[in-house]
Parts: sequence; structure tokens; C-alpha cells
Amino acid sequence: MTAALIPGIHLSATLAEPAHFSGLEKISLLIGIAISLVLFFWRFGPILRTIFRSKKDNDFSLHPIRRRLWDFVWEVLCQGKVIRQRPLPGLAHAFVFWGFLAFALVSLNHIANAVGLGFLNPASDLGTFYFFFAAAWALLVAVSITALFVRRFFVRPIWLGEKVSYESGVIAFLIFLLMVSYLGAFFVDASGTAVKVLWWTHTLTLLVFLPLIPHTKHLHLVISPFTVFLKRDGFSRIPPLSGDEDFGLVSGKDVTQLISLQVYSCVECGRCTEHCPASNTGKVLNPKEIILGTRSYLNEFGPASETSLLTDMREVPSNNPAAKYMSMEAAFECTTCGSCEYQCPVGIQHLPIIIGLRRGATNTGAWEDTHGTKLFLALEKHGNALGLSAMERDKFIQKQAFPIFDGTQEYCLWLGCMGGYDPKGREIIADFARVMQYLGTTFGVLKKEKCTGDPARRLGNDLVFQTMAEFGLKAFETAKVQKIVAICPHCVRTISNDWREYGIAPEIEHHSEFMARHKARLPKQDSGESIVYHDPCYLGRYRDVYEEPREIVSLAGELVEAPRSHERSFCCGAGGGLAFLGEESGERVSHVRAAELAGTGAQIVGTACPFCNTMFRDALSAMGEAPPQLLDIAQLTARALPASEMRTGEQ
Amino acid sequence: MKILVAIKQVPERDAQISIAADGRWIDESDLSYTINEPDAYALEEALQLKEKNGGEVVVLCAGPERVTSTLREALAKGADRAIHIEADDLGERDTLGIAQLLADAARAESPDLILTGLQSDDLGLGQTGVVLAELLGIPHATIIMQVEVTTAGLKVKRELEDGWFQYVEMPLPALLTIQSGGNKLRYATLMGIKKAKTKETKTVQAAPATAAQAITLERVYLPEKQKKTEILTGTPAEVAAKLVEKLKFEVRAI
Amino acid sequence: MNGVIVLMEQRGGKWNRMSFEALAAGQQLAAGLGMECSAAIIGEGADTLAAELAAKKLAKIFTVQHPLLQTYTSDGYVAAFEQLLKQADPTYVLLPHTYQVRDFAPALATRFRQVLISDVIAVHDGPVFVRQLLQGKLNADYKSAGTGPCFVSVQAGTFRAEAVEAGTATGTAITANFTPQLEANQIRSKPGEPFREAAQTVDLSAARLIVSVGRGIGEQENIGIVEELAKALGAELAASRPICDNGWLPMERQVGSSGQTVSPKLYLAIGISGAIQHLVGMKGSKTVIAINKDENAPIFEVADYGVVGDLFEIVPALTKAVLAAKN
Repeated sequence: MTAALIPGIHLSATLAEPAHFSGLEKISLLIGIAISLVLFFWRFGPILRTIFRSKKDNDFSLHPIRRRLWDFVWEVLCQGKVIRQRPLPGLAHAFVFWGFLAFALVSLNHIANAVGLGFLNPASDLGTFYFFFAAAWALLVAVSITALFVRRFFVRPIWLGEKVSYESGVIAFLIFLLMVSYLGAFFVDASGTAVKVLWWTHTLTLLVFLPLIPHTKHLHLVISPFTVFLKRDGFSRIPPLSGDEDFGLVSGKDVTQLISLQVYSCVECGRCTEHCPASNTGKVLNPKEIILGTRSYLNEFGPASETSLLTDMREVPSNNPAAKYMSMEAAFECTTCGSCEYQCPVGIQHLPIIIGLRRGATNTGAWEDTHGTKLFLALEKHGNALGLSAMERDKFIQKQAFPIFDGTQEYCLWLGCMGGYDPKGREIIADFARVMQYLGTTFGVLKKEKCTGDPARRLGNDLVFQTMAEFGLKAFETAKVQKIVAICPHCVRTISNDWREYGIAPEIEHHSEFMARHKARLPKQDSGESIVYHDPCYLGRYRDVYEEPREIVSLAGELVEAPRSHERSFCCGAGGGLAFLGEESGERVSHVRAAELAGTGAQIVGTACPFCNTMFRDALSAMGEAPPQLLDIAQLTARALPASEMRTGEQ
Repeated sequence: MKILVAIKQVPERDAQISIAADGRWIDESDLSYTINEPDAYALEEALQLKEKNGGEVVVLCAGPERVTSTLREALAKGADRAIHIEADDLGERDTLGIAQLLADAARAESPDLILTGLQSDDLGLGQTGVVLAELLGIPHATIIMQVEVTTAGLKVKRELEDGWFQYVEMPLPALLTIQSGGNKLRYATLMGIKKAKTKETKTVQAAPATAAQAITLERVYLPEKQKKTEILTGTPAEVAAKLVEKLKFEVRAI
Repeated sequence: MNGVIVLMEQRGGKWNRMSFEALAAGQQLAAGLGMECSAAIIGEGADTLAAELAAKKLAKIFTVQHPLLQTYTSDGYVAAFEQLLKQADPTYVLLPHTYQVRDFAPALATRFRQVLISDVIAVHDGPVFVRQLLQGKLNADYKSAGTGPCFVSVQAGTFRAEAVEAGTATGTAITANFTPQLEANQIRSKPGEPFREAAQTVDLSAARLIVSVGRGIGEQENIGIVEELAKALGAELAASRPICDNGWLPMERQVGSSGQTVSPKLYLAIGISGAIQHLVGMKGSKTVIAINKDENAPIFEVADYGVVGDLFEIVPALTKAVLAAKN
């Protein structure tokens, strides 16, 4: 079937392929392929070498293989993350990717044809089907790549960076050309010059495209499937230090193979920066630039270098604006909220890198910060992050008449630093204790508690962290604790996960998980109050607990969602040890989030973390007229309980 | 410049204190120990002087086996060598006796400068440094905030009462007792702890006590008045009068 | 001689007031043991001051003077007192626990192979001298072995200077001049003139008295009443974080975990609830007085004296009373 549209050009059901290639053409083709491959490996070789020459990951494992396979299928093949986080551009990208996959055989056949080894006959049924299939994709890809080009060069979303990326333009053009030169072959005869022109256009485009891949962020085409597959198991997984000479990411020789692989996979999409609370409030920290900074470090100094990764400790040319991104200041502005790592579509794990940089600075004493030092000394001397006497916690326990855990109770109630020493944290503990008593659950508190070491861990002080973890593990073992419940997601995360480096703690759950399990027995309030729930980073992204706290909130009133909720929840600003450091520069993260929460018009802000609570308390009270009330889910629940019998506290 | 820092290991500040059965001292069975805080500032001053002027920092501590952990922490913070004067009977020695132990070790080292904290967190007599200086026959200055090395020796800033200060010039060798808070303390780093493993700790046996104690600690007991919040009541004028009385006599602020 | 001798402190003809507390202590100790009490005044201007002690109940008043004792040095004072004490041969030597005494008295005691029982808070029969251990957690009884003069320094506020007994009309204290033998090369240190730091910016960490204001003050205009109180007391003004955040007071006046850490003699917390971030900044204060209308405010947990009431009534009344007391 042919249709004459323009004289000489007609749509054919069959893809036109040049029938004959001269000897010169064949030789030119082979030389072209050779040059293209050489140029490709000329750049790709060193990159591979850098990756393999990097330090071996001491915790590398392919387990669990099923999860890896699933992630590969979902994130790579289905482009799950890419589409979910930015739907329209993501879909466009997915089309381009699927189009590439669909084109695999086409491209092979295209080259094979020239040397008489073509295996797909355009006239056969399979051929016809496949080529039309590919044509449909070519159309989709051409449209998608045009749309993405327009987005990048005309719409200019800030997350893609301020500088115009010429290489992206070139690549977009090449892809467009590939598609158009393929589609064009449906409109010409198999004989004649037109088909040859199209063929060579397509081929040359391919040969030019290939060596460009390792020189640009399109390297991700080759390596990101591996990156996604080989990701460290676990979110924000901090590897243990290996041996006496390892202090974290100090210089090139500390960068591991996984980190190298990951930084070379970066596509510079900026999704990490888009959701970063520091980047959103005028701080220096930019997660994308940390990754790219590490990449340029590897390009410049290599994986065996002893030059410091952080720019504070090395010579940087003054006209290097990117240097500030790899500074100690930037590294220590991270709240470890995890939104960067959580949504990276190519499997980059930002947190081990940022915390690794902090470790390199803290474990060697290079980080000299007044508040940081005060925190570490407080943890060493007093065993709590606030630097208060442990007797203050004893006084609180006595006043509340909490039983001491002696092995007979079901749960050990872990107070934590906030629960043990902060007035607000203590209120939350007291209310949660009332809930447990109401439910008839027996519990006791440890006689002596030290901080879990979470702030030390996130700030990179392994010495203090080890001390705290070992103390805690021993305390649980001696007291024969089997189950722990805590009000603080940081405590829950650190005990259940980070302490594993030194031993296995008893199982621990967050009070939202506990209360949700008993929700049938908790009173349903019909207050009609609107309550906006804020997902804490360490409960949501870190632990995947989203529904349980919402069930509790729904018992107390009408649940309202913040614009950014669930895994997109915006940090309160306290994490990463930042609650204990000095004043932040720029806008306050807590104020931004508080404004967002109050902006929903809800009457109450519901929290599930004592740190979020303390951050919002200051932020909300600074907001003029009638700010919303601030209540933890334990307080929301306890307020509906019948008044308990007078407890005899200490006289 | 060789700096000797005399440090003391004391019970942790937050430790739950219970009195021993014989009432003469506290029950040490469940205690955690740490470096005496003013001595930590003395060590910090020594380390900063070494960083500025070069030399060596040697830490010195008398006590039973457990004090070696505090010596190790000091090495981790940057001291070069440690000397442990092994003595299990510190409770039977008074300030003079202990200073004599320290003096013996110090003479063997002949340091240019000796630093120690101005008093200890447990006994708080605040004298060991001065007595040590006297035994060694070297000049001393107490409650020092800043130390500067000069061609003639030292120029130190001494804290006086009520926000007054004075500079004192003195020759070396000398001894200084260091006030807390003059410098920012550094935190012990992982790297420091690892390096400490390679540094030398010398153990010397304490010479047996020669003379009897000049003063003896007879017994310890809980103070009768615990810190209780006294709530003052009355009309504003009455309360104001009561407060003024407290300010005058208890706080001595008027 | 036996008896008690009290070493009094003065600088340039002006008494260190604590010396009178030590004098009262000495008199009481002497009375209790049936001994005589004497006093020694050292340094330039001692003879003028001796006249003031003449009317007190003392056996002897020694004035220790020498050109090399014009300014205080440990070397000078130790040598001079050593000679005096060898001559006077007392059983007990009492001193006020001042900065200066901490500097020389231990060395002086060492000359006699004694150890100073320092910072005593009570004297009981025996005599037994009571000291505080472990930051005030325990008290301890100390005794002297009696092999030489017993040196004791007395903590500020333990005895009342007003309790110094006057002498009887018939017996007046005998004043004796004592000139020690001193060589210039014995004085090894060169002390400079005492000075005060020019407060370019506020250094709360060095402040002795602090009046601190918190959210309870309500409006910025109201801070004036707290400033008046601070001025009346001669105290530095400080604040909790929200006040500084609002810009009502400069950041350098903030006390707390993200501001200054202070350890004044007096911390007067007005309208401060006592959130943990604030407490960690002032927990080192010697005496804390809190005024807050909420009886459950956590600040009361760390206060020595508390007033539950309306600061807008109490603070002006207090300012008035303080000014009256100072005049």
C-alpha cells in the first residue's frame, strides 16, 4: 500500500533499507565503528578503572537478591521513581527510555544490514510488526525529546541548574535525529539516494552518540541499571569503619566502589536538591553538588588520592564557585532528612556520603564547632545530649512514679534525651504512660539511660556513638529487656538499626505503632477539630510508618494532610544533630514547615516526634495571631482518657 | 618546651553517691570515673601551648590501675607521654603526701612548665598545685586564664575577685593552676584514640608514705539541708523585702 | 603562744571584707577552746587599718610591713608570714578563703609541713572543720593531727562579719609591728596592675549578677521594668531565646544552649518558663531566683528561691526595695 503525499515521497508499509552497500561504504562503516568504540572506551575505560580502583565496600552484599531484582524491575524497567516524582517529564523520559529498549534490535539490524548480516526482513510479518512497533516508539520518543528540550531550554525549571547545558541540547538533537532518520525510511523507496542518506544519517548519529555517552551525564544509560541494582541495602545505611586507619570520607582513598559508581551515575536532574530543606532555605548545602563535587574530585585527583575531599582542607582556585558546595559548612547543614536519597531515580545514596564526609571531619578533629564540641563533651560526661545531670531524669522518674524495669514488665519504656529531660518531651512521656496504663500494658523504665548516640552518629563522631551504643546494649542485656517502646523516632531508628554495628538490641517500636495496634480500645473522640499531621523524617522515610500515626490522629479529630506529606514530608530541621548546633543561616527550616502546616488552616498540628514538637513550638509561637495548637499523638490520645487515680509521687 | 600536666581522676559528676559502710568515704563499687574538669582545661592549655610553641606534653596521674583510662584519654587528646604513679592508698595520704608523689615524678622529668587544674571536683581543696610548686621550689600562679610564652619566661593572666584580672610575669620553670573555661575544650576523636595506642605510658610505683597525715578526713555525710526551692509569699512589697534580705545575706549581691 | 591568729587581707589600705568573717570565726574558735585570738595585717597601709581593730576583742594585732610587700606576691607573703608564725607560734591560723589566700596559703602551710583545711563552712566542737565535697553533695569532717599550726580558710558567708566581738573597755589589743627579713631575689614573679576588661560587647559568661527576662514579659516595651531592676542591682541583662529571636534584645544577651552559658553568683529569672534549652545555659548559677506566674514552670525546679506571682507587680516593688537597701 502506498499513498502519495508528496511526489517522490510516499508512506510505505515497509521500512526501506538500502539494498546494496559498496565496499568503500562497508570499510568506512567498520572504521567508523572502530573509531566510535575507541573514543567511547577512551573515556569510559578510565571511569571504570576509577570505580574498580576505589576502596572495596566492607559491607558489600548482594543480599537480598529479590529486593534488588524488584527494585531493578520497578525503578529501571518501569521507571517507577522517575515518573512518580515528576509525572509529566518523568513519563516523557520513560518513553525515551522504553523507545531505546524497543530500538535495540532495530539498531543492531541496521548496522548488520550494511555487512549483509541483516536478520530482520522488513517484508516479513515479524519484520513488519517489529518495524511498525519501533516506529510507534520513534514517534513517541521524538515528541517526548522535543518536549523535554523545550522544558530544559525554554521553561528552565531551577532544579536543572542555572547554566544552560549545551551537551543536553546536543544529545536531545541527536536523539531526535535518530528517530526522524528512522521514521523517514518509511517514506522513501528502498532504492535511490534518499534511503542511503537516511541510513548514513542514522548511522553517523549513532556513531557520534556512542562516544558522547561517557563524557556526559548520559553515562547513566550504561551504568545506572547497575547502580540501582547494587545499591546498599537499607535507607541511610552508614557502613562501619574498617580498621584503625579508617575515619570516614577524608580523601579519595576512602571513597568506595559503590560511591564511585553512584557519583558517576548522577544525571543532574536535581530532584535531590528540589526537596532538600537546606537548599530550600538558603543554605549552602546542595545534595546534587555534593555528588557532582565528589565526581569532579575523582576526575581530578583519582581514587587513591590523599587530598582532602572537603575544600576547607585543600587549595582551591579562587575562581571555583563550586568549591563552597564541598565545604564543611555545607556538609554540616544536612538534617539527614533523607528526601535526597529517597527519591534519587538512579540509586544514589546521598546520606552515607554526607555523613561519611562529616565522619572524616569529626573523627579527625578537623571539625571545630563550639556547639558540636559542647554536644560531644555533654554526651561523654553526662550521657545525654543536653548536658544535664542524670539526676534530673531520676527526679522525673520519681515524680511520675514510673516503675523501674525489672524483667517482670512487658515493655521497657525508653525515655530518650527529650523524654527524660525536656519539659515538653516529659509531658509526652507522661501522657503515653497514661495510655499504656489505661490499656493495662505493664512497663518499666531503665534505672540509668544514656543517649542512643543518634546526634553523634549523624554528626560523624564514631567514638562517642560507639560508647553510647555499647552502654545501651549492655543496659538492655543486663535488665533482660525483650521489648522496647519509645516516643522518639530517632531513638527507635538508632536502637533498631544503627546499634547493629555493635550488637542486636531487643525489638523496639514507636509509640504510634503501639497505639495503632490497640486502636480498637482507644476512645474515639468527636471533637470535630481539624488536625494536620506532620510525618517525621525518621518515622516516615526512615521507617515507612505513615498510616499508624494517622489512625491515632483520626481517633482524636479530623485528619488534614499537609501539602507535602508522607514520603514527601518536609523536615522540621532538628535532625542530623542540628537541634544541638548553633543558629542556622538563612530562613529557619522549622519556620518554613510550620508556616506550611499552619497554612492548612488546621486547628491542631499533630506530631509524633519530640524534636519536631520542640522545633514547631518556637516556630508556631512566633506566628502572630492564634497559631494552631501543637500536640503529640500521645497527648491527643491521653486527653480523652478518664482521669487516672492520684499517683503517689515523691513527697 | 616540656610541659607536665598533673591530672586527677575523679568520680563522674552525675554519679549517684552513696556513703561507704564505715562512713569515712563514698562507696566506690558502682562508680564511673573521668578526668577532673579543671585538669581537662589545664591539659587543653598545655596542648595549645605545644601547638603554638612546640615541645612535649607529658601527663602525670597518681592512683590505682583505673586511672590509666584517664591517662589514655589525655593521650588521645594529644598528650605525648603519660606517667602513671601507681598508688592504691591515696585515701591515706593528704595533699602534702600526694604532692610529694607528684614532686618525685616531676623532678625526674625536670619540665619547663607544670600545669594543673585549680581544684578537684571531688575533694576541692584546691591546693595540690601550689604545694607541688612549693616542694619543687619553683614560682607559681593560680587561677590562670591565659598563658603566653615570652623571652623571659611567661606572662599569664590571673583571675581576681569581682571581674578583676591581672597579668603576672614569671620565669621558667614554673607551675600554674588553670581556671576552667579559659579555653574551649577539644573533644576526644576516634583518630586521637587510635594514635594513643602507640604512645608511651610509664608506670612508677609510689614511694610509701613517710609521714603521717597532717589533716585527716574523719567522716562524710549528707548535708542536712538539701537544695529546696523556698517559695516566698506575700504582697509584692512583702516579697520584695524578703528577696532583698536574701540578696543581702544569702547571695551577698547587695 | 598558742591561740588563734587570723590573717587579714587588705589592698592599698582597703579591707577585703571577708577578713572580718574570718575574724569572727577566729574569735569563736578561740572562745570555744579557751584561747586568745589575735590578728595579723600585712602589706602597705596595715598600720592605719590596725587602728580599726584596736576596739575589737583581740589579744594582739600584728602589722607586717616591708617595702617588698607593697604589692601582693605569693613569695613575699609566704616568707613574711612564715617568719611571723614562727615567732607567734599559734595553734590555729585562720584565713578568709579569698583568691589571694588560695594563691599563697597552701604554700605557707607546706612550710610548716601542714595542709590547709580550705573553704570551711562550719566549725564544730573538737574542733572539727566541715568542708563540702563533690560540688556540695556531701559534707566532710576534717581534723588536724596537731603536729603544728592548723591552717584553716573560711568560706564566704559562713560567718557574719557583724559578729566580730568588740573588746572590753579595760583590755585593748596590743599592736605590734613585725618587719620580716626579705630579699628582692626571693620575689620571683612580677605582678601587674589589676584591671577590668573593657566591655566592648556583653560578656555574660563573666557576669557576676544576671537578671534575665523571658516570654512572660509579653511586649517589648515592658522590658524596661526589668532593665530598671538590673540597673538597680548592678547586674547584666540577659534573656531567653524568644526575646532575642524577636529582636527585643541583642543575640549576645541570649542565655541558653544556642546562646551564652553563664555561671553567675545570682541568676534572677523573670518570666522565664525554664525550657531545657534555657536551663542548660544557666544551670551553673550559684543562686537562682525565679519569678513566674505559673507555679508549675520548670524554672522552679532549679530555683533556690521562687516567687509565684505577677512580675509586673513584683519586679517594680523589688527594684524599689533594692534601691532603698543600697542607700
